[in-house]
Amino acid sequence: MSNKPYRLLEGGSRIDRSKRVTISFDGRQLPAFAGDTVASAVMANGSKLFGRSFKYHRPRGVVGLGSEEMNALVGVGDGARHEPNLRATQVEVFDGLHAVSQNRWPSLTFDVGALNSRFSRFLPGGFYYKTFMWPQSFWKHVYEPLIRKAAGLGRAPEGRDPDTYEHIHVHCDVLVVGGGLAGLTAAKAACASGLKVMLADENPELGGIADLTAGSIDGACVGDHAKAVAGQLYAAENVHVLNRATVVGHWHHNYLMIFERVADHDPALLAAGTPRHRLWKVRAKQVILATGAIERPITFANNDRPGIMLATAASAMVERYGVSPGVNGIVFTNNDNAYLTALGLKKVGIGVRIVDSRARAEGSLIARAISEGIEVSMGSVVSAVEGSQGVTAARIAAYRRGQGRVITERKIDCDFIAMSGGFNPALHLWCHNAGKIKFDENLQSFRPDRHHDAMQAVGAANGTMDVAATLAEAHAAGVAAAKAANGKAKAVKYKVPEVKEPTRAPLESLWFAPATGKYNEGNKHFVDFQNDVTAADLELAQREGYESVEHTKRYTTFGMATDQGKTSNLNGLGVLAEATGKSIPEIGVTTFRPPYTPFSFGSIAGVLTKNLFLPIRRTPIHQWHLDSGATFEPIGQWRRAYTYTGAGETKHTSINREILSVRQKVGLLDASTLGKIEIKGPDAAEFLDRMYTNTFSTLKAGKCRYGLMMNELGFLTDDGVTVRLAEDHFLMHTTSGGADRIAAWLEEWLQTEWTQYRVFVTPVTEQWAQFAIAGPRARNVLAKLGADFDISHEAFPHMSFKEGKLGGYPVRVFRISFSGEQSYEVATPANMGRGLWNAILEAGQELGIEPYGTEALHVLRAEKGFIVIGDETDGTTTPIDVGLEGLISKKKADFIGKRSLEQSFLKAPNRKQLVGLLTEVPTDVLPDGAYAVRALKDKPPMEMTGQVTSSYHSPTLERSIAMALIENGRARMGETLTFPIDGNKVIRAKIVDPVFYDKEGARQNA
Amino acid sequence: MPDLYVESPLAHRNSPERLSIYLREIKDRGMVDLRGIASDKKFMAAAKKVLGLDLPKTPHSSVSWGDVKALWLSIDQWLILCPRAKAAELAAALTAELGVIHSLAVDVSDMRAVLRLEGEGVREVLLKGSSLDLLSGDYKPGAVRRMHYAEIAALLHVVEDTVFDLYVFRSYADYAWEFLLATAREASKIKLFGKQAGPF
Amino acid sequence: MLLVHCPVCGAEGDETDFHGGGQAHVRRPATHDPVNVSDEAQRDYLFIRHNAKGLHFERWRCDRGCGKWFHAARDTVTMEFKAYYGITELPPRELMEQATGEWAGYFKDKLK
Repeated sequence: MSNKPYRLLEGGSRIDRSKRVTISFDGRQLPAFAGDTVASAVMANGSKLFGRSFKYHRPRGVVGLGSEEMNALVGVGDGARHEPNLRATQVEVFDGLHAVSQNRWPSLTFDVGALNSRFSRFLPGGFYYKTFMWPQSFWKHVYEPLIRKAAGLGRAPEGRDPDTYEHIHVHCDVLVVGGGLAGLTAAKAACASGLKVMLADENPELGGIADLTAGSIDGACVGDHAKAVAGQLYAAENVHVLNRATVVGHWHHNYLMIFERVADHDPALLAAGTPRHRLWKVRAKQVILATGAIERPITFANNDRPGIMLATAASAMVERYGVSPGVNGIVFTNNDNAYLTALGLKKVGIGVRIVDSRARAEGSLIARAISEGIEVSMGSVVSAVEGSQGVTAARIAAYRRGQGRVITERKIDCDFIAMSGGFNPALHLWCHNAGKIKFDENLQSFRPDRHHDAMQAVGAANGTMDVAATLAEAHAAGVAAAKAANGKAKAVKYKVPEVKEPTRAPLESLWFAPATGKYNEGNKHFVDFQNDVTAADLELAQREGYESVEHTKRYTTFGMATDQGKTSNLNGLGVLAEATGKSIPEIGVTTFRPPYTPFSFGSIAGVLTKNLFLPIRRTPIHQWHLDSGATFEPIGQWRRAYTYTGAGETKHTSINREILSVRQKVGLLDASTLGKIEIKGPDAAEFLDRMYTNTFSTLKAGKCRYGLMMNELGFLTDDGVTVRLAEDHFLMHTTSGGADRIAAWLEEWLQTEWTQYRVFVTPVTEQWAQFAIAGPRARNVLAKLGADFDISHEAFPHMSFKEGKLGGYPVRVFRISFSGEQSYEVATPANMGRGLWNAILEAGQELGIEPYGTEALHVLRAEKGFIVIGDETDGTTTPIDVGLEGLISKKKADFIGKRSLEQSFLKAPNRKQLVGLLTEVPTDVLPDGAYAVRALKDKPPMEMTGQVTSSYHSPTLERSIAMALIENGRARMGETLTFPIDGNKVIRAKIVDPVFYDKEGARQNA
Repeated sequence: MPDLYVESPLAHRNSPERLSIYLREIKDRGMVDLRGIASDKKFMAAAKKVLGLDLPKTPHSSVSWGDVKALWLSIDQWLILCPRAKAAELAAALTAELGVIHSLAVDVSDMRAVLRLEGEGVREVLLKGSSLDLLSGDYKPGAVRRMHYAEIAALLHVVEDTVFDLYVFRSYADYAWEFLLATAREASKIKLFGKQAGPF
Repeated sequence: MLLVHCPVCGAEGDETDFHGGGQAHVRRPATHDPVNVSDEAQRDYLFIRHNAKGLHFERWRCDRGCGKWFHAARDTVTMEFKAYYGITELPPRELMEQATGEWAGYFKDKLK
């Protein structure tokens, strides 16, 4: 086991050979070193097989070196910590890490799903648009379960996530995305001015591919130079460096989100309670994109076999992890860069030859390769690959540019291929927010053009591939960014370094390597590896008429997998260009959208889970409700006590008890949530006249009036009792859910329409705890508490207001009633709320006082036919509809909604009108929202004539009651309506007056 | 007359441990919401007479005199801070002095919960719930800013460089407290823009 | 996530600190003459809005700041805010001149 041919005896800049760890992959224990990734660890142990492809279940291995990896997707972790679809090239090992391959059953080496490959003729791109159609009865019970089982890659974790996540907001002057040579240089130039600079890189270390770049800067190799600059940036106090941090998206005005993997690589960090991931929300004055370029695969027959990887990835395996991609391989390229890979392989004793599709090319790397005795076949392509679970041989053929097929091939035994089809600038972030791009003929790829936000691209991300040019460009960009962020920033002069680097011949695009026989149809020429989209699929889409690149993408799903086309985009466009005769820029690119790479739901939620998922609003009496066995009802963000269920009770019995308690004795309700707004000013009365349907300027000081509010469409939007405190001073009540909305509504009208009004509006909802003391014994409770004001009915009639002290507590008292009983709403400053609540209960004890909740309240008011905004109104309900036409002033010249209400269709007789309903069977309670039909039929459709808006069992009347909005309801008193309920049940109910109890209102006036 | 029972919004909460900052509720602060036209000289003079200070006109600033502070909330709105026992009388005194001048003074001492955050990492903790640029020069002692915090409205007052008062509406007090418990954990402490021990 | 500036108090913040209030300069006919509001005038007030591609004029409220309403001129394609101005004001003259389509028609007599 120790003599591994794939772990080189020495080398590997990222691994620490003194720190041994053990990981498991598909249950196999594998030795590795600290610094390895799952990819390098598995390959070091001699295995190239990492997974099975999505559709055809073809064996797959590592292709890339970082986040562009599209094959080696593994699931890491157990139970609730399991995370699927991670790129093995990015998962850093730790002792005890468990990883599994995906999309295979029963095992990676023997996978039943591989049968799909046999039927690949029937599973081309878009096959599901043409299948699974007949018979329809199969949809739900055969096709769907089968497709569900087959679809998806990894499996979801089980159980609650045990880790924590968080967000953090930061502002900076310059954000540099990417910590390679270009990013480091730009950041260094920008930070010299003392401005706040952030640098984010998705890797554990800064440097990008500087360690794999040929050449020297001022005598140091590029990798060492990068290390030095990185060190300076870490030390600088105005620079914040983020490692393992992917900038996932760019939004307007330079708003970016960075997904940082804080603790995934170290279980000790997690155990210490470190947040697992952190989502940074950054507002940057200036952005510099130094995101590099992503290497392109070459599209040739069976180019997806394990052992075939990108040239830079092969270099990374050797240089960083001391892992050999194989024993004897081929570097297949259309550019000079891959020669570096060959040179590196030769240096460590791995057999390698070069196949170059260009007829001729001259560059210093090519010369070096030849001088070192590496066999170079120019004007050649790999026309096919043999071996299925790993490369065993390749076929090489002579090739001339534009050649459509191949005549003669020779077979070469090999166990890996390092391919390079060129490099695509990673311009995703540039494009997230409508950045413009242009096609670069030299690169045969797109590069950034113009952007309306303050963003620049440098280095390979900008199509600048040379070291010298990158340094100059990045420095200039850093200086420019600093200056733009802060005009006073001092510019740092650029000291031109001495750069030695190889000369390069231009690349020649190779979008489709021709093959022999059936292979040349392109069915095994993979373009999008992750979604198994081949060159043939793309050509098929064209033949079937899906000409727009956006259509081609959706039809074939190329570019739609978790890698979002990083390695397939341009290759696909190249195939389409050759298939259609159009140029690549003519075909265009599909829209780039965030995120650049997938990021966790946990990081999106941050701490806003469980008790923090929603802001819950609690009244001053909340704890008392909890302690008294209340269940709660959400009203907006508030939690209100719904009912207090005691031992031996059900919710139904406690609600009934509470209702009867109010009707027969006295009840206490926490009404603190209702909106309270102070309105003061010389024009306050006139302003209220504009806002309400009825008139408030005529209200006397010390009196209360119920008011209705419409919106400008003539529909009811809120209601409540407003009291006049003084000539120029009112206190408005709104619904609980409307408090904040109505306060904003008032401000909007004052600030934007009637700006001449001198009125101040101050919400005071939370200043006051407020309770309703309701029932025939309500006044007795006040007496028992002791008031310093006259509580007699004559001095304190219904719909009036007093201030003073009750039981010693400072109070505002409103004699208003929603229950229909004698009722006082008592308000005291919130910190004294609990004190007053206790005092009321104590004072009322011998009078039989009981608390009642919102459900009892709703039944009580329904018995009285009082509407609730949101139950009897649905946003299209007018005051006339609910029988409150009397509250629409006929005298006021202008108020909100008046003009709209004059439209004939809002006064039409066939509109739904508020009525009461009494079911034929008194114990039948109509479901809320039940529809009445014009004529009952066996099955739908049936014509509706109205619906139930509130429905309850009324213990006061010992039967059910309901309110409803019924077409022309007021003219249909006594008529019986039919309500079909779920299944075959039908309930019949008679239309009656919506006031079921005490129509004269004697009880509240007692 | 029996003793009145009074409890602050977070009376049921204990001082938390293992946070990277000190967190507690300030229970004894009085607050008066004052509305008036800043360009109305009579209004400003009357306010000064009662409060002993000139109401600040610079947005997001504050002024102090004795045990009274005036926080700028809007061009026609201030939050007057004072000892709790004084608030009701201060509101009444303002109302009386202002008389017919267009204004509104309301005792709002119970409307908000006041959370005091103290410590080196206070700004970083707040940045976990706010997108204000708290590291900039706009947030020196005396600065006042209404803001969006976590998912709610809040008011921030920079008392000293590492001492912040966070005001939230009373009903959200528990939510704000729990949000701080979650974001101020010692284990999630973070220092922005300082020397870093990076991998080399 | 737009970055918005309040011209009243100087606050700068994410758009979530603000409340977008729709198109600016919508005339409410009933305010001026409540008795003579034609159906067309009311319809325009309630439902008809400009759909500008490019320079557009909007109402905003500094919701989480000073609470005041203001106006903004914003490009609906690039999302750039061109100007902020008071809630009772018209836009800067040069922007009224740059306006096209429905907005040009609206500003025509205001530029005289």
